[in-house]
Amino acid sequence: MSSAGPAVRGPAEAARPSSRRKRRRLRAERLAPFLLLAPAVLVIAALRLWPLLLGVNFSFTGDGDRNGTAVGFDNYLALFGDPLFRTALRNVGLLVLLLPVAVAVPGLLATFVYLKVPGHRLYRAVYFFPAVLSPVIVGAIFTLLLGFDGPVNTLLGALGLGPVDWLGNPAVAIFTVVGVHVWATFGMALVVFLAGFSTLDASLLDAAKVDGASLPQTIRHVIVPSLSRTIQFVFVTTMIGMLTSMFGLLYVMTSGGPAGSTYLPEYYIWIQQGEMNKPALASAASTALFLIMLVVGLAQIAVLRRTGRED
Amino acid sequence: MKQRALWSAAVVVGLALTAGCGSAAGPGSPSGGSGDKLVVWDWKSGDAKAAGYVAKAKADFAKKHPGVEVEFVAQPYDQYYTLLGAAVQAGRGPDVILFNGGGKIRDRTDALAPLDSYVAEDKGRLAGWDAFTKAGKIYAEPVTLQGHPLYYDKGLYQKAGLNPDAPPRTWDEFVGNCGVITQKTGAKCFALGNKEGNGIEFFLSAMGSAILTPQEYDDWIAGKRNWSAPDVKRIFELWKQVNDSGLNNEGPNSTAMFNDAFALFQSGKAANIIGLMSDVGHWKDFAEFLGADKVGVMDAPRVNPAAAPSLPYDGGIGYGVAKWTKDPKVAADLVRSLSSTDALKAFYQDGGAIASDTTIDVSASGPAVTTILSEVKTGKPALHVALSSKTVEEMGRLSQQLLSGSITVDAVVQQLADSEKTG
Repeated sequence: MSSAGPAVRGPAEAARPSSRRKRRRLRAERLAPFLLLAPAVLVIAALRLWPLLLGVNFSFTGDGDRNGTAVGFDNYLALFGDPLFRTALRNVGLLVLLLPVAVAVPGLLATFVYLKVPGHRLYRAVYFFPAVLSPVIVGAIFTLLLGFDGPVNTLLGALGLGPVDWLGNPAVAIFTVVGVHVWATFGMALVVFLAGFSTLDASLLDAAKVDGASLPQTIRHVIVPSLSRTIQFVFVTTMIGMLTSMFGLLYVMTSGGPAGSTYLPEYYIWIQQGEMNKPALASAASTALFLIMLVVGLAQIAVLRRTGRED
Repeated sequence: MKQRALWSAAVVVGLALTAGCGSAAGPGSPSGGSGDKLVVWDWKSGDAKAAGYVAKAKADFAKKHPGVEVEFVAQPYDQYYTLLGAAVQAGRGPDVILFNGGGKIRDRTDALAPLDSYVAEDKGRLAGWDAFTKAGKIYAEPVTLQGHPLYYDKGLYQKAGLNPDAPPRTWDEFVGNCGVITQKTGAKCFALGNKEGNGIEFFLSAMGSAILTPQEYDDWIAGKRNWSAPDVKRIFELWKQVNDSGLNNEGPNSTAMFNDAFALFQSGKAANIIGLMSDVGHWKDFAEFLGADKVGVMDAPRVNPAAAPSLPYDGGIGYGVAKWTKDPKVAADLVRSLSSTDALKAFYQDGGAIASDTTIDVSASGPAVTTILSEVKTGKPALHVALSSKTVEEMGRLSQQLLSGSITVDAVVQQLADSEKTG
């Protein structure tokens, strides 16, 4: 846009009997923005867009005997005919449904810290601690804790409750992994919430207290409305985190099992490429994941825009 | 002036970085390139236990081709086939490649050169060729044998008042013994880990010869599989029944075979386990905890009177030659050196593997190894190795569903039959 100005004015100035040097300077000025943009554009085009196109193109070729030949939409048909990939997509849907829980946990805990419950300083540090652990370490710790003969089941047994096969029951395992993921990552969201709280008008809380509002009433009518932008931001970042960074946990805790019940698209891509030797099918799955992320991303941008306008 | 110095520094750094990138993707990396250097990919040579083996193989090769340099590149096993796939896709992988036998190598033979004309001399000396053969052509020379013996803890059998040197011959007898052992010692019958879905592979192969008739067994290996046959269904029924009747340890779906299930057996919490012959989860590992004289190997207890139990084994790992190598003859000579008697002897002694060379003397390693080796002659290829990776993967998932009770045996064999058709 900025280059349009000189471009329009150019011919008019050239008509005047001005020196050639001035004209050359003008042309240089007109080209400068493109020159300055070139490195960034080239990097994006060569290292992002071009490989992306190659990958999409590759997803329309075959595997094994049909390596390199065009197969049309065969890979995509195979993909959506594969119950395992459908499970992976269903699990993505489940993650979206569990999102409110993943946001509510740090939100509530941040509220308690903000309201200065006894020991809130300690909690603030303790809650953040898991966020610095790598998913592999977290996964290994919880695999031990949640093993069938692990301490959690021993504790349940002492309370008279039957043992739960946390990671071995297809109906339970995905919730276990999501639970561990929330535990491992809520520290970041908590910090964002605390930052949001620091902008909260304390006089509103005092007014609520004077009016005799209970804690649930204070949260519902004072804290949530004042923090709506923070909450939306945490929603967006938590969603991204869930869709892109659960691979490590899945790999360590369940290997996609039991019975494929904890597959996510990322894990599916990895298995097809590395274990099944089907890189073209994996490309098709990657393209599908890319489209999902595109839709989610655009929706998130829309939400953030709307929030921005409220300013 | 100062700014110009900064700029030139930046340019130098930039050039250095791009030069680094260039060489990482350049001709020096994985591809062997020049004719007097061979690059070998494996996941073994980085292991201290394999040092003696690699040294022996290199020495043997140096005698044949003194001018040719050999470089071993050890890759992490859990990413091995991913990295190899990327190298093959780019058409510039290593010259000599280590493979697991069965589906892992058969899925990738389009990148390999047939070795039939080079390895004829070794065919009599080594066992386990089938796992590296596809459509009548040999693609790798076996290094180790891999199989699934049924190990038992002689100590627990003794404690329960049973004769540890006369293991049960029939399934009913076997289950009866387990009942006694559990009652007397508290140990479970089987240690099973099915978290990775491997448990069913071990079970299918170890119990298969005790359930299928010899004819059905040979047909299966030859690719004529009838998934709806009653005996095939019986294998999966038995898998479910063993778990439902409490013979396994608790929570097998969340117990990792490597190495939680092996740990249960080693610590005396289970009397039997279907283990491996080589590398891990085998006689050498078990002997370290239980003592070499306490580790027994039994034939699979007969379920079907018409069956003839045999040891299921195949070529475990073996080296193949990439089809893009400059001189396949030289590369094949390296493969032969890697399976030479001296090298394999070092592998057996240091690494604890049953080597493919059956002429090696193993009597010093205890009764389990002696039993295994005596059964190699009558053994047959393992049932699960004959399946494609896709079917094996699906079978792993279905087996977990069987244990959790969310699928029927009929549905399982139906889905596996479908998987074979499309795979």
